[in-house]
Parts: sequence; C-alpha cells; structure tokens
Amino acid sequence: MANQQISRGTTPGLSVKKSLRPSGLEPVLFHSFNTVFMICLVLVTLYPFINTIAVSFNAGNDTIRGGIYLWPRVWTTQNYKAIFASGTIYDAFWISVARTVISTILNIFLTTMLAYTLSRKDYVFRKPITIIFVLTMYFSAGLIPNYFLIKDLNLLGSFWVYIFPTMISAFNMIVIRTYIGTIPESLLESARIDGAGDFKIFMRVVLPLCKPVLATIALFVAVGAWNSWFDAFIYTSSKQSLSTLQYELMKLLSSTMNSNSNPNVAAGVGMDRDSAKAMVTPLSIRAAITIVASVPILVVYPFMQKYFVVGLNVGSVKE
Amino acid sequence: MGGKSKNMFKLSLIVLLSLSFTLTGCGGNNSNNGKDAAKNGGAAATETAASTDGKVEPFDISVFIGEAGQPPTPDNKIFKKIKNETGAKFNFEYLAGDINQKLGVMIAGQDYPDMMTGNTKLTAAGAYIPLEDLIEKYAPNLKAHYADYWNMMKDPNDGHIYILPNYGVYNGEVKSSWYSGPAFWIQKAVLKEFGYPKVKTLDEYVDLIAKYKEKYPKIDGSPTVGFEILNYDWKNWGLLNAPQHLIGHPNDGGVVVTDGVAEIFADKDYAKKYYQKLNEMNQQGLIDKETFVQNYDQYMAKLSSGTVLGMFDQHWNFSAAEDSLTTQGKIERTYVGLPLVYDASTKDYYRDLAVLNLNNGLGISINAKDPVKIIKLLETLISEDWQKTFSWGIEGEDYIVKDGRFMKTQEQRDNAADPTWQMANKAKTLFGYLPKLEGSYSDGNSTDASAQPEEYAASVKPYDKEVLAAYGFNSYVDFFSKPPANPVYYPAWSIDLVEGSDAKIANTKLNELSTKYLPKAILADPGKFDSIWSDYVGDIKKANVKAYEDKINEQIKWRIDTWSK
Amino acid sequence: MDETLGKETVALHPKKRKKQPITWSLIKNQNQLIWMSVPLLLYIVLFAYVPVWGWTMAFQNYRPGRSFSEQEWVGFKQFKFLFTDDNFLRVLRNTLAMGMINLVLGFVTAIVLALLLNEIRKMFWKRIVQTISYLPHFLSWIIVTGIVATSLSINDGIVNIVLMKLHIIKDPILWLSEGKYFWGIVGASHVWKEVGWNTIIYLAAIASIDPALYEAAEIDGASRYKKMRFVTLPGIKATIVILLIMSVGHVLEAGFEVQYLLGNGLVMDWSETIDIFVLKYGLAQGNYSLATAGGIFKTVVSVTLLLMANWTAKRLGEERLL
Repeated sequence: MANQQISRGTTPGLSVKKSLRPSGLEPVLFHSFNTVFMICLVLVTLYPFINTIAVSFNAGNDTIRGGIYLWPRVWTTQNYKAIFASGTIYDAFWISVARTVISTILNIFLTTMLAYTLSRKDYVFRKPITIIFVLTMYFSAGLIPNYFLIKDLNLLGSFWVYIFPTMISAFNMIVIRTYIGTIPESLLESARIDGAGDFKIFMRVVLPLCKPVLATIALFVAVGAWNSWFDAFIYTSSKQSLSTLQYELMKLLSSTMNSNSNPNVAAGVGMDRDSAKAMVTPLSIRAAITIVASVPILVVYPFMQKYFVVGLNVGSVKE
Repeated sequence: MGGKSKNMFKLSLIVLLSLSFTLTGCGGNNSNNGKDAAKNGGAAATETAASTDGKVEPFDISVFIGEAGQPPTPDNKIFKKIKNETGAKFNFEYLAGDINQKLGVMIAGQDYPDMMTGNTKLTAAGAYIPLEDLIEKYAPNLKAHYADYWNMMKDPNDGHIYILPNYGVYNGEVKSSWYSGPAFWIQKAVLKEFGYPKVKTLDEYVDLIAKYKEKYPKIDGSPTVGFEILNYDWKNWGLLNAPQHLIGHPNDGGVVVTDGVAEIFADKDYAKKYYQKLNEMNQQGLIDKETFVQNYDQYMAKLSSGTVLGMFDQHWNFSAAEDSLTTQGKIERTYVGLPLVYDASTKDYYRDLAVLNLNNGLGISINAKDPVKIIKLLETLISEDWQKTFSWGIEGEDYIVKDGRFMKTQEQRDNAADPTWQMANKAKTLFGYLPKLEGSYSDGNSTDASAQPEEYAASVKPYDKEVLAAYGFNSYVDFFSKPPANPVYYPAWSIDLVEGSDAKIANTKLNELSTKYLPKAILADPGKFDSIWSDYVGDIKKANVKAYEDKINEQIKWRIDTWSK
Repeated sequence: MDETLGKETVALHPKKRKKQPITWSLIKNQNQLIWMSVPLLLYIVLFAYVPVWGWTMAFQNYRPGRSFSEQEWVGFKQFKFLFTDDNFLRVLRNTLAMGMINLVLGFVTAIVLALLLNEIRKMFWKRIVQTISYLPHFLSWIIVTGIVATSLSINDGIVNIVLMKLHIIKDPILWLSEGKYFWGIVGASHVWKEVGWNTIIYLAAIASIDPALYEAAEIDGASRYKKMRFVTLPGIKATIVILLIMSVGHVLEAGFEVQYLLGNGLVMDWSETIDIFVLKYGLAQGNYSLATAGGIFKTVVSVTLLLMANWTAKRLGEERLL
C-alpha cells in the first residue's frame, strides 16, 4: 500500500531526467501513427452502431434479406412506431429513470464511504471487512435462494427491490479505495490536525478529491441500473406499474421473436399467419430497441466524461 | 460548519440503519397473493357465480402466459365485451426471459397466479388443481367438447386432468390450405423450369436441383445455392429429422416407432444413406459451403435472396423469408413442399392429422381464489358465439355474412394482419390458449378465417394458380398424401422425458453428438465418410441411449393402454 | 524502471507493521470509521452471504416447491456428474483458454488505448474518439455476434475481402468452421465490444496524475515515450495491478453468450464453456442442483486464483487487493 505515496512523492521522472533526450522526428511519426490508429478505431467501433441505426430504420421484411450496412434500403419508421405503440413504455421509462438516479446516488455515497474507511490502514476492522466484501465478487448464492431472501424481506413487487440488493459493489469499492490511496496523505493529515472527524474528512476532503473516479463509478452504476431487466423479470413481473423500460423492451422483443418462431403462432390459426407478414421482425425490432434503450443513457455520458477525460493537456493549460 | 457535517453524519447513519434493518417495513404490498387462497383448491362451496341472478359480478383473473407476447390495450374491444358480459377482468403476465428461471422461482416460492399455461415442470410441482370434478359438475359443454379426448388429457403420472389442451380438438369438417410441417422444399421456379415434374424420391429431387444449378449458376447476379441445411442451436431438425420421413414414417422426433416399439434412428443405416447422399451432394458443390456455420438470420437472409433452390425444414420456420420474397415480387422463388421418400413405392407420411396439443393450454393454479368461477367462465367461452367472436371478431365490424357464409372485405383482412390493430381488437393470446372449436361451426363456416374456402380463394396469387393447375391441385397441401388415422400413441415427440432424468440427459447427449459429427461427415472427403460415421455410431453407443428409448417405450405403452377407446 | 521502483519501494516499505492489538480505546477512537462501515458490512452479509444456505442444493436432488426437510440428499452426486463427464475437461480447457485470452487482450488493449487517447492533443477530438470507442458496449451480444458472423462470411464478408485485397490469403476462409480460430475470434469480439468501455477506468486514473510531474518531465526534455513510461504508467500502476488481481479471479467467467451465439457443431469442441455445459445439463433440465454445484466449483477456483494473484502481488511489493 505504501508504495503509492512513494510513487507520488518521489517523482520517478526526476530520477531519470538526465537520460532523456527528445528527438526531432519521433513526435511527427508518433502523431501520424496515432491519428491513423484513432481513425481506424473510430471506424471500427462506430460501425456497429451505425449499422444498428440503419437496420432500425429499415423495413423488417426487407432486413431479413441481409446486406444492410450503413444506410437503410427500404426506409420506415414502423419499428419505432411498434415500440411507442405500446403505451406502457412511457411509465416504464420514468421507473427506469427513478431507479437509475436513486441507485447511482446511493451507490456513490455508500460505496465511497466504505472505500474511505477501508483505505485507512490504521482502521481496526479493515482487513476482515475488505475480505468479506471482496469475496462477494466471486460467488453467487443462486437464483432461488436470492428469491427467497427478497420474498422474506417483503420486497417482491416493490420498487425498492431495484435499489436495495445492489447498493454497494465490491468492485467499485476497490476501485475507489485504490484511488483514495493515491491522494497525498498530507491532505488528509492536515484535515486531521484541524480536528476534523473521519466522517467530516470523508465529506469535505475525500469526496471532492475523488471526482474523476466517482464520475467513472457513477457511469458504471448508472449504466448497470439502466440496462438491468432481470430483477424486473424475476421480482416485479406481475406488477405492470413497476415495469422498467428495459423489461418492457425485452417483452416486446421476445414477443416479436415468438410470433416469428413459435409453430403455434406462426402456423396455427390462420389469422396469426397473417400477422407473421407484418413489417416488424426480430432483427429490425431488436435494432430499434437497442437505439431506444441506449440513447437516453448515452446522453448522460458527456456530462460524466468531463471529469475523467481531462488529464495532461487541460491540466497544464489550467495551471 | 462542524455542526452541519455532524448532522450529515447522523443523517447518513439513520439512512443506513433504516436500509439495513428495516427493509421489511418498506416492502410495500407484494404479489404474494396467497397461501391462504391455496386451500380453496377444490372448494366448490363459494358459489357466488355470475349467472345466478342475471347480474354480472366483476372479478379479476390473473394469468401467467408461459411465452412472450404483448398485452392487449386497456380498451381492447374483445376484453371489454368479456368484462361486460361475464364480469371477468384478465391480468396477463407474459414471459420475457428464460422460462426455466422464471418457473424455478415461481415454484420455489409457490407464487402462482390464478391460471397458468401448461408446463410439465408446473405439473410435476403440483401447481395445478385437478379439473375432472369441476368440469363434470359445472361445465357440461367443456365436457362434451373434450369427450373424445378425455383419457388423453390425463397426466401420465397420477391420472388427473390439469391442463385443458388448446389445439387439436376437431369439430365438423376440417379444411386446411396451409401446410406448416416438415418437407423437402423446392423453389417453384425449378419445378416450372422442368415442366412441373412429379417428384417422389430424394434422388429425383437432387437431380432437379443439380440440373437447375448447372443451367443457372447465378440468380439475380448471386451464385445459386443448391441446398441449405440449418443446424443452429435448437433449430437443428433440418439436419436431424429427414431420415425418418424418407422411409415413410411420420414425425416422431428422435425415434422411429414400428409396431409400438420405438428406437432411435440417428445411427441406423437408412440415416447413413441420407448423410452419404448429402456428402455426395457436397462433392458436387450443391450444398452451401457456409451452411453449418451460419446462424438463423444468415439462413433466412439467403432464403430471402431467392438464390437457394431447396432445403429440408418446417414451413413455419422460414415463412418469414417467403413473405419477404413475396414483397419483393419474387413469387417464383418461394417454395413448394415435397414429401420425398427413398423409394417411389413407399407411401409418404409427412402430413399428419392434427394431434391433441398436450401440456399446452390453460390450467388453474392451487392459489386460485375461486376455481369454480373460472371453470364457469371457460364453460361460457367455449360456446359457439364466443368462439366466433374470438376467431372472426364482431359481425359487421370485423367480418361480413353473405348468405350465411362468413367473409371479409379487403379492409377487414388488412386490419386482421395489422399487429397494432390486433392489440386493440383481438384477444389473440388468450384465445390461443383457451379451449377452442376447430374445424367448422354448426352453421358450416370454418373456425379459421384462412381456411374458409372463400377467403383462401381470394388469397391465391396468379403464379400459384398456374403451379397448382399444372398439378391439378387445389392447394399446396395436396402435394402430400392424405394422412391415415394417427397411431394411438402418436406423436412420440410429445412424450415428457421428465426433467433431469437419465432419459433426458441421454437425449441431450445424442443431440450434441449429432450436431457435432454429422456436419463433419457431410463435409468430409468421401473416403473418410465411413470412418467418421463409425466414430459417430461408436459415441452414440456410449451415450445412455437405452434410458431414452426405455422411457419413450414405457410412455408409448402407457398411452396405448390408457388412450385406446 | 519497474524493477528500480520496485526495489526502491521495498526498501522504503516499513518492515511489516506490527499487528495492532484491538483495544477499547482504539475502537473508541475509530468509532466514526466503525459507524461508517459496520452497517454496510451487515448489509452485505444479509444480501450476499445469508442466501448462501442455497449451496446445500448442490448436495441434494433439489426440487423447487418442496420444503427444505423434504429435499432428497445425494451427497456429491452432482459434483461427480460434473467431473466425470467426458466433456468436462474439454469445457474447462476452453473456459480457461478463452478466459485468459480475454484477460490478457482486454488488459493490454485497454491500457494501450488509454495511453494513446491521452496523447491526443485536442480535447475535442479526445472526447469524440473516446465516446465513439465505447459505443459497442451498449450493443447486446446478439447484435455484435450477428455483425461478427456477417463480417466473417465467405460471401462478401469484410474480413475475407480485406485479407484478399491485401494478398494475405488467396481464397476466402470459413473462419467459423475451424476450431483453431474460434478462441481468437471470441477474444477479438470481446476487445471490439469492450475496449472503449474498459479504457474509462484508466482514463480516470490518468486524470488524477499530478500535472506537475509532466511539467517537470517536460522541462527535463522527456520524450513522449519517456513521459508515458515514467509518469503515466507509474501513475496508474496501482489501478492496473488491482484490476489485474481482481480479473485473475474472474478468469473462469469466460461467459457463454458469445460462445453460444457464434458456436456451431463444427467448432463445438472449442466453443463450449463451463457455463454452457451447466446451462445444458443443469438449468435446461430443471436441475438446479447441478447448476449450483457448477457455481461452487467456479467459486473455489476463483478464490484460489485470487489469493494466488494477491500473494504474488505482495511478493513483488505491488499494490494488493486484500
């Protein structure tokens, strides 16, 4: 643990400074390499998203033919209409927003608080508590015992089942703890000399200093909460009023897939046969669903990003 | 400043404590509606039924649907009608995830709604109440509806009836114009090219494909694909199921049943003959190189491109590709199903008479508050008037009647095919699971709009008329021989192997071996085919096939004993 | 550099702190720390540890719906089934192989990308590139594998086209039909989907490096490469080591979705993982006991690996998890 302070205190760069000589050609070469690399990266990682958007605006029974790459071939908004036609997703959207916001705030606060206590090397219970938390990353009791727990806690069909079971993640705690470890001890020390208690140090010194890592963790938690549907599926599925956006979209996708692949539905009664001819197919609806589900959370991203994509350049400009 | 932070500290403690220890308080009302209701199981005493004084008393029914679907809109006209006339208000919960996980927690917690769709896991867990007595006592029409099938509906383990099958109970004349089952499919254009030949055997079929591919190496600019075999995930019948049909047996799943005795056919010589033929076809370049690595989407993309001449598949599995071809105006690239056999003297047995859809349909759960009310509701809904409402809709709005015949205007047909319209105007899922009349009503109209001759005639495209006329058929179903009466036990594929049993594990193993070895054998150098085949057969011997066959035979025997009239 | 710093650290590291005796005065002193952590400890015990009674299922023929006392106890039968199956060693090998590939590729690519992103001078572009690179994280595996399968197709799949244009191969290769390519394809798919997302955590760590260090290095005339190596990397080393230790414990989590979606009969011997095996013979058969036994096995292996990694880190004088 101690080596952090050291690597921070004694600047490694300084110990080797004499040996460093900038060469003239290297920056140019490096920069062009980096630019080319980044362009390739952007092309490769942007493609699947563009492709998904293109498919989402393409007519379902045309998408089946394949060959949609960057642009829809038969333009339609039918896929989105199918999503918004079910009135249930508007309520579900707000439930999702609520669970994401509450989860993120609670998570950040509690996880950081725990991380701070466990970053304190003099804390008596540091080791046992750390071990108990870390181990939770490597086992799961299984679905049925967890269900019983939720049931015994009277959380079935309750909004809080989205919040309580996932208030602290050991992984995030460790990441934050590691980060706190890099905060110069001197900052904490001076606060202590001022007579501040641990909670006050945590609130006044640690929390503000942790902004970059908290932005990261907030993103992890928010994306996790936003994307989860399994808890709605297992614990609240009988309560429509508590359904989340992801679960509603999941239902829509499953039902589209079902009507295209279930022998009874696809072939059984004649009228059902007709509906198989509908424009919406699993491929197209899945694409539209992906866009609807991810756009709201992507919008949040730039706000978080400013905390962790600073670094060298902005830092030096600012100073 | 210090004070403020102290307050924050206290506040956070309070929050924490309340979170950690008083969770039970915040639970809110939960869906656990009822162990106390469970004891009402067969209680017929609570007879507050709707019909006694003519006034409709509203009641709620919660239903778990074991497959994905979309809930009807709140103002759906059919459900409104049900509510107005019977008082029943349905709350559906559809499955949207893994059924094993969902059922696991439902069973473990005994958290059942009033009704659930049929599932062997639920039956095994004792989640349904027996229905025989309720039906005898309160539902004469249901009893009459199922009279011929009564014994077949009994659970093989304890002889009770838990589920009311949703399909396979026929009344009146059965018309069908759409074949949904397995066949060797061939593009209509291929048949036309060679003057609509009669194709009976596998060899003839392969020759046609080879000739056509030679003549037209490209279709619309893309290379012609002779034959596709889909072997993706659970959709592997394209690879596995053909041999039983080629020797003239109906679809019994993984076994062939001769004289009431079942045995697997995967390792038999007549199966080897088929795969050897495929191996030859591969040598001739007739089989798509990618066929065994493609997923379902890629398979459908190829079929929809119109370049695939033939494949073995179930019709429902690729009907979406045909719809796409129709939309593209490539009707000649859609398919005709052919019931091929090895030897022209063998009678084909692909098409079968519909069988009772066991373990499907609705059952009443042990948590249902008032089973009597539910069974009375089902009794009401099996009446012809209600059945017409479910299937055809409301007269004048959804269909018209001319000289006693039901038909639809074009607008009504378009409506019926529009999923958004359906959500507000049909009770599709519910009807899908209810006991239902199939065939024709007492007035002679078909129970199914697409099977109504007038409706069918209106849907046949000119190109299809030409093909059908060339063969002298009325519909594509006529390519198949008229099915004989089903064997008593039929079909063996509906036998429940029982979760986690040796039989089921053996079946999984067998499937695994087939998906692994058969593609290798087909793609192999012809000289190596035999050695791969013997490895395959050797591995099958090692799997516990006997447990699988024994279980099937035990059940076949039970069915023959119980189901014979 | 790692060595020098390592030695330096070891030298400066206070020789194993004396174990503090837990005294009342200490507890009183740290009462705020205790109030801040012990309730959370109780919370995690309730939500993570209490349900572990369910592991008893692994020793039963668990049937849901029966009460605990009605369950049939079968001892180690489930474990025996798991370990004696012909396929077990194979799926274990596949799981470990793909887990390791994912681990190594995932780490290296994410760190390299973070370093390179950090070198982009224009803030605007840096943010744009970073945002785009993490987009695939939001796509489900079924969409990603769909695109992968299409790209690897021999009929105008982009991979074959590019390789043929570059004259690396002469004829299109049927990538998904060969077991030897499968692990690589899975690894590459993982990188594609997650590299941008995995970078975020390192970017946050880089953001926390004291700008003064860079300035000092600049004054010394350090090249870009030297700054990367002597300022940036040491600055995020703690994060890297901790994440690495945690991931080593997760090496058996090679997943099942990708393998399930990209696999086929021809590559089955390379594609099936423990999770798929357990899914097929456990959950899909209603055998929750086997699924639980599989889970216990994975936990035992995971924790062992985790402790080994942590011990190694300790020996090397690096940041530790525990």
